[in-house]
Amino acid sequence: MQETVAPHLPYIVIFNLLVVSTVLIGLGIAATARPLKELPEGRQNAAELVLEWFVTQARRMDPGSVRLIAPFLATLFLLIFASNLLALLPVPLLKIPPTAYFSVPLGLALVSVLGGVAMSASVRGIGSALKHLVWPNPLQLVGEASHTLSLSLRLYGNIGAGVLVAALAAQAAPYGLPLVIDALELIPAVVQPVVFTLLTASFLSTAVHREPGPGKGGEPTTKLKPGSPLSLESGRAQ
Amino acid sequence: MKEILLVLIPTLTLVPTAVAAALAMRKISSAALEGMTRQPEIANQLFTSMLVSLALVEALVIYCLVVALLVAAKV
Repeated sequence: MQETVAPHLPYIVIFNLLVVSTVLIGLGIAATARPLKELPEGRQNAAELVLEWFVTQARRMDPGSVRLIAPFLATLFLLIFASNLLALLPVPLLKIPPTAYFSVPLGLALVSVLGGVAMSASVRGIGSALKHLVWPNPLQLVGEASHTLSLSLRLYGNIGAGVLVAALAAQAAPYGLPLVIDALELIPAVVQPVVFTLLTASFLSTAVHREPGPGKGGEPTTKLKPGSPLSLESGRAQ
Repeated sequence: MKEILLVLIPTLTLVPTAVAAALAMRKISSAALEGMTRQPEIANQLFTSMLVSLALVEALVIYCLVVALLVAAKV
């Protein structure tokens, strides 16, 4: 079977990635279909439960640009998580997770690093963002490249190795053993997106960090409205 | 000779790395667990930091895996 699948692997991966994105976009539309309420219930509650962690992370980094950072982190996390979970599906071709094909983790890592630069440019201005890349140490540019490499290799190594182990186990003992391997696969499938997002967040927090200027200090530039869906803590009674 | 190299290269590359990574991970996770039991209120924060540190250690093993695979493919 391996020989017949191999030449079509890129198309399968693209199709699977499209399936994952469609499901995620559908879930997003379903969660925001009804007008958002101050006290969430039902689907809105579930969606806010997922997003709250990213909003907290983003607020810790820079309270002014929560709307910029939180969706970025949440998108990365949900896309990688849903892609990893494909490996658990009992459908022959659909069960190839896109993250087990090196181009996809590499693309995600590039998006993460270049997106970090772009966000840094939009928060601090283009000149300051570019200066941050080479000042005070020009080797930071090399650091950014190695971030891309380490993020992508880590994701690919974990998920790809999992798929390899599952295939070998299925060859050795077709009944019973693959179930155990799949159950063990759940651990990297959950931990890797968390790690990817956390590392992106930690790179972002140095890139977005503003030097306290004269007078303004580190004050947030835009205040969130208490009723807006992104201000979870502020709308809640302590 | 080729078969011997094919066995030796990944083994000699990966085994020392895995041992070193296991020692590092032991230290990271035991320190994190101690911190969590001492201060359960910041357990979440410590857990995320622990995951990041473990991932950084794990990345080194994966680099070695990739290098071992590349070298083994050349042999």
